[in-house]
Amino acid sequence: MTADLDTPINNDKELVARTQGGDPGAFDELIVKYTPRLYGLVYHMTSNHEDTNDLLQDIFSKAYRSMANFRGNSSFYTWMHSIAVNMTINFLKKRNRRQHPSLNDPDNNIENDPDFIAATSNGDPTKEVSIHELQKKLNAAMQKLSHDHRIVVTMFDIQGVPHAEIAKILKISEGTVRSRLFYAHRQLQNSLHEFKRS
Amino acid sequence: MHKVIKLKRYEQPPEGYYEDFLREFHRRQRAELLNPSLSSLLLERLSGLFSELRVPAMAFAGAAAVAVIASIAIIRETPHQETPRAYSVSYTPTLPYSQVPVTIQNVQNMQPVSLRVETPTSSQPQGGSTLFPPSYLLKARPANHESPLSF
Repeated sequence: MTADLDTPINNDKELVARTQGGDPGAFDELIVKYTPRLYGLVYHMTSNHEDTNDLLQDIFSKAYRSMANFRGNSSFYTWMHSIAVNMTINFLKKRNRRQHPSLNDPDNNIENDPDFIAATSNGDPTKEVSIHELQKKLNAAMQKLSHDHRIVVTMFDIQGVPHAEIAKILKISEGTVRSRLFYAHRQLQNSLHEFKRS
Repeated sequence: MHKVIKLKRYEQPPEGYYEDFLREFHRRQRAELLNPSLSSLLLERLSGLFSELRVPAMAFAGAAAVAVIASIAIIRETPHQETPRAYSVSYTPTLPYSQVPVTIQNVQNMQPVSLRVETPTSSQPQGGSTLFPPSYLLKARPANHESPLSF
């Protein structure tokens, strides 16, 4: 899955221009288009569905208020993701330790995923238990990461955003993105050593 | 590790969440318009309070006068700094030699010049001599037509 797979830039430009011209329906189209992707970004950072919902509403609200200032120096995709990342990290700093995970149930299709089968083949014999156990352990491992490391893991490993695009969104170099991924993976390996495949 | 972490993408919000999200967005926007935030309310109240206070105009004038007097006092209090002395340059409203029309009378009245550099002499008062640089102006002097004895 690539970053711009379902976000043609030209279409975004037109929708942005219409929004800036005073057409609120155009912004609705942008919301519909970006909600699933941004939901994933915020959710995997917060591990809480309710927080994600509130934060996502605030993110789109801020984006709408700031649309007049959007000059198109970067793509709308990058701009929107930058807002989401900054607001999420600010939120996490405020929330600090008082977090209560509120996880969504994994899609049933996970049972057919060969990576899931491989990861849980050495686990409990009951698959349903394994799903929740895996989810819990993955979440705990993710929450152990620093915000900077978690954001690159979320975007690269879960959402499939390329290094170059992550670098643009986070305003860091590609080398820094790779370095953060390296250290994050090493930390995750220590937390999830039981799922490591030979 | 990448493949295991990737499994998290199967965690999806409840059915129909994305459809409801836009409705929720519109609802919140309307609510924001009807119920302004606490900060905007506070700002509005404060601006109203200040406008009701009606501070007399003379108070502003008095404050301005005090500020002016204080600044004058501060300026006067500052120690006098040595500034480089400005030298007055005398101006003679005569045309420079290059612009004097060449006539027979002028040529006859011309005086030869000397290129000797004037150095301050010991007769000049102490202290004052060092302030003025040596003069390099060409001054009218009688020319010495004798050939130099040595070089």
